[in-house]
Amino acid sequence: MNEKRQMLRRIYSYDFTILELGLYLDTHSDDMRALKTRQQVQEKRAQLVQEYEAKFGPYVLTSDDVKGNRWSWVDNPWPWDYRRED
Amino acid sequence: MWQYQKKLQYPINIKNPNPKFAKIIISQYGGPDGEMTASLRYLSQRYSMPYSDLKGLLTDIGTEELAHFEMIAAMVHQLTRDMSEEEILRSGFDTYFVDHTAGIYPVAASGAPWSANYFQSKGDLLADLHENMAAEQKARTTYDNLLRLIDDPDIREPLKFLRQREIVHYQRFGEGLRLTTDRLNSKNFYACNPSFDKVCGKGTSCPS
Repeated sequence: MNEKRQMLRRIYSYDFTILELGLYLDTHSDDMRALKTRQQVQEKRAQLVQEYEAKFGPYVLTSDDVKGNRWSWVDNPWPWDYRRED
Repeated sequence: MWQYQKKLQYPINIKNPNPKFAKIIISQYGGPDGEMTASLRYLSQRYSMPYSDLKGLLTDIGTEELAHFEMIAAMVHQLTRDMSEEEILRSGFDTYFVDHTAGIYPVAASGAPWSANYFQSKGDLLADLHENMAAEQKARTTYDNLLRLIDDPDIREPLKFLRQREIVHYQRFGEGLRLTTDRLNSKNFYACNPSFDKVCGKGTSCPS
């Protein structure tokens, strides 16, 4: 797996953790331990996304990072494309 | 509003196309207990939800369901790539192919097109939360049934992930129901509509 894919996988796992903690917190809004974990994961994710975008371009459509001379958002692969290298 | 993330919630990379499996998996895209039904159910129901935490829950689960029907579509898309005419006929995919080629269209495994009749938004949170819990279990059963019929690990792993999410959602909706009844009169949980009746759960009975 190349560096780009590896970084993406790490971001995805943080994204999933954030989503799962979010659903849990919806019904346990005062759980301090879950809240703290949620904050820590958010910080780690933000750092990683910044690192990723500096190297590989926008992660989401409204990303601040549009360096370079090409709008790489439109480039393949799109999420549903089959990628042999996985 | 929503913002697109250029990724799937769980990666899909199916090495071996299989239109026969595509034809049954598409039921979780446009079938009665599919992800599209789930998403529209929760995102429609949230407007009549009086409690702020459960407005959040319906929004968040409804949003996750959008990511799930994208995963199902990606599976069907990859399972139907590079099909020969012979494979289309042999697999039984011909009945879908004749109307949609290899495009993605919301139908059940039987071919019935998606319908809003698959869900209800009753404007009554007790009725809605009970429907949602049943819906998560029905979706789990559908994934169980798909897993009984499919042996390819490239397909099974994402299906197992989705099956697990149904169980988590069921758990969260169950907690939502408990949070609701905690706020109502314990002598009279289910006799009125807390989304509409102003006094419901506060000691006085609802319309008689």
